[in-house]
Amino acid sequence: MSAIVTIQDVVKEYNLGATVVQALRGVSLTVDKGEFISIAGPSGSGKTTLLNLIGCVDTATRGRVEVAGKNTAELSERELTDLRLNTIGFIFQSFNLVSVLTVFQNVEFPLLLQNKLNAKERKARVEALLEQVGLLTHQKHRPNELSGGQRQRVAIARALVTDPLIVLADEPTANLDSETGQAILDLMKSLNQQKGTTFIFSTHDHRVMRYANAVVRLADGKVLGRESPEDAVAHAMGLETPKHAEVRTP
Amino acid sequence: MNLFDRMLWVIAFRSLMQHRLRTLLLGSAIAGVTALLVTLTGAFVGIKTTLLVSATTLMSGHVNVAGFYKSSPTSAAPVVTNYKKVREIIAKEVPELDYVVQRGRGWAKLVSESGSQQVGIGGIDINHEPGFRKVVQIKEGKFEDLEKPNAMLIFEAQARKLGVKVGDTMTIVAPTFRGTNNTLDVTLVAIAADIGMLSSWNTFMNDQGLRQLYQLNDETTGALQLYLKDIEQVKPVQERLRKVLAAGGFELLDPDPRPYFAKFDSVNRENWTGQKLDVTNWEDETSFVQWIVTALTVLATMVIVALVAIIGVGIMNVMWISIRERTREIGTLRAVGMQRGSVMAMFMAEGTLLGFMGTVGGGVLGVLLSVGLTQAHISLPPSWQFIFFSERLVISPTAFWVFFSVGFITAAITAISIIPSFLAARLKPITAMSHVG
Repeated sequence: MSAIVTIQDVVKEYNLGATVVQALRGVSLTVDKGEFISIAGPSGSGKTTLLNLIGCVDTATRGRVEVAGKNTAELSERELTDLRLNTIGFIFQSFNLVSVLTVFQNVEFPLLLQNKLNAKERKARVEALLEQVGLLTHQKHRPNELSGGQRQRVAIARALVTDPLIVLADEPTANLDSETGQAILDLMKSLNQQKGTTFIFSTHDHRVMRYANAVVRLADGKVLGRESPEDAVAHAMGLETPKHAEVRTP
Repeated sequence: MNLFDRMLWVIAFRSLMQHRLRTLLLGSAIAGVTALLVTLTGAFVGIKTTLLVSATTLMSGHVNVAGFYKSSPTSAAPVVTNYKKVREIIAKEVPELDYVVQRGRGWAKLVSESGSQQVGIGGIDINHEPGFRKVVQIKEGKFEDLEKPNAMLIFEAQARKLGVKVGDTMTIVAPTFRGTNNTLDVTLVAIAADIGMLSSWNTFMNDQGLRQLYQLNDETTGALQLYLKDIEQVKPVQERLRKVLAAGGFELLDPDPRPYFAKFDSVNRENWTGQKLDVTNWEDETSFVQWIVTALTVLATMVIVALVAIIGVGIMNVMWISIRERTREIGTLRAVGMQRGSVMAMFMAEGTLLGFMGTVGGGVLGVLLSVGLTQAHISLPPSWQFIFFSERLVISPTAFWVFFSVGFITAAITAISIIPSFLAARLKPITAMSHVG
């Protein structure tokens, strides 16, 4: 399989007053097309920062971030926005839906930004996705009329509506109860299997890691290793590190 | 408008509706300023209309053909000799003409038993003055009595000052160039309602009486006042008249946009004798009162600019609040692929929409207010009558000024919203998404 995301020796520093905080310290990582990969680690380990760099909403201090074959450091603000629009779908921990738009309009919005499909095609695409996430009957509702799980399903539909190569999900189940969270992960997994979309999601919940094909463990801004979900869960639960742990370098 | 643009307007509208109270307060302020602007512009139109009607009726017509006759280089008299020939040329060469009247002109002291006043005297033939009868409102006496020899009409304030009533006799004392005074006893036959500043020194008398006072023949008058069917034709008619009168053998004064009484000095300094005609228009003849309109325009502009500035600060603050509340939303929209320009357009749409809704409401309110105030027939205090050229408050909102007010204030609010919208668009997606609050 070919790489869709390549990260080489990436450092990300934040200035907090006079103090420089290193959120990522020389991270290297490759994600292949069609993977369902989890980035795991405790709070402050750099998971969200890594996702932000892959999602082109932030830039690395040093190192190289390549998304869909493009070096993000060489792209203009407009090109980065276009890359996000056409290549990446976002699922946020707190859903981040536009409160004044209906479910249908929220999902349709990226298609309007793309301006590639006509109204009929857009309607068909949005309704198909809403049916897939089980919200076709709620298409005229506003986000505040939905439960947390329903909102996250809208966010998933919005992330997938442009048929992106990569979907980034930052702690997608963190604000959901375990049953709803499991349903969301089942949905994401089935979409990954049906469409071959690459999913990269962050979590520190070992129950969520089990869904991944592979887990990249982060701690203190460094990649500790790329593991199977079972090994990652064992790590997360404080069990002995399995011997078959594998670290991939680009 | 494509669907995406429509979506931006939908977001803008619903965002405003989401914060109804805030929108209502700010919208009301915008509506208030717009209503004020509509009312003020209506008042200006009212003043200008009243000025136009009263000035053209009392003093000038739309186009004025007058002039000076000099028996010696320094003795200019404001008369037109052989006016009937001039009138023939006008009738032939001005198809835009509605009607024309001849008016005698005089400047004299009006003396009653209890007082005196320096006044301008218009000599009129009341049977050929259709406009005069419409504009001048008789409070006491009758128009028809102006047909009588030596009959006079004055205005209310003058009657109060002179302490006279209809039927009283007064004496006109008019100085001549020879240093003597011509005098004539006149009977007050009508007292008219004041028409602002212009009625403070204008009086009218039977034209034959005025001729008698100045010992003028029937071929002589003070001015010919032309009333056109369309006032927009004033300039071309004025220019054409100058040419055809010159071609008809009349000598003309150089164009000079001042009222006739301001020209005595300069005319007397010129070394010629005989008759020269002067073709002016109503604006020239009333230029000495145009300062009122100018002063009011400047004053109102300052008031409006100050109010728009205050509203602008409010708009700016509300936009900041809105942007702060929606910073995470901005981050999300930027993350899913919205370009900076679109973010800016979205917030500007909010400002424009707020401005438009407020100004349309204010425009309607302003029209209702103007009509209501006019219909209430509110009597103005004397000092205000002087400025408004009317006894009562007349506010005439016009479609042009209503649309102008709506457009101007909406545009100003849109312009004001550019800065916060621009700064919102400049936010980095990561910064916006990380915003707390």
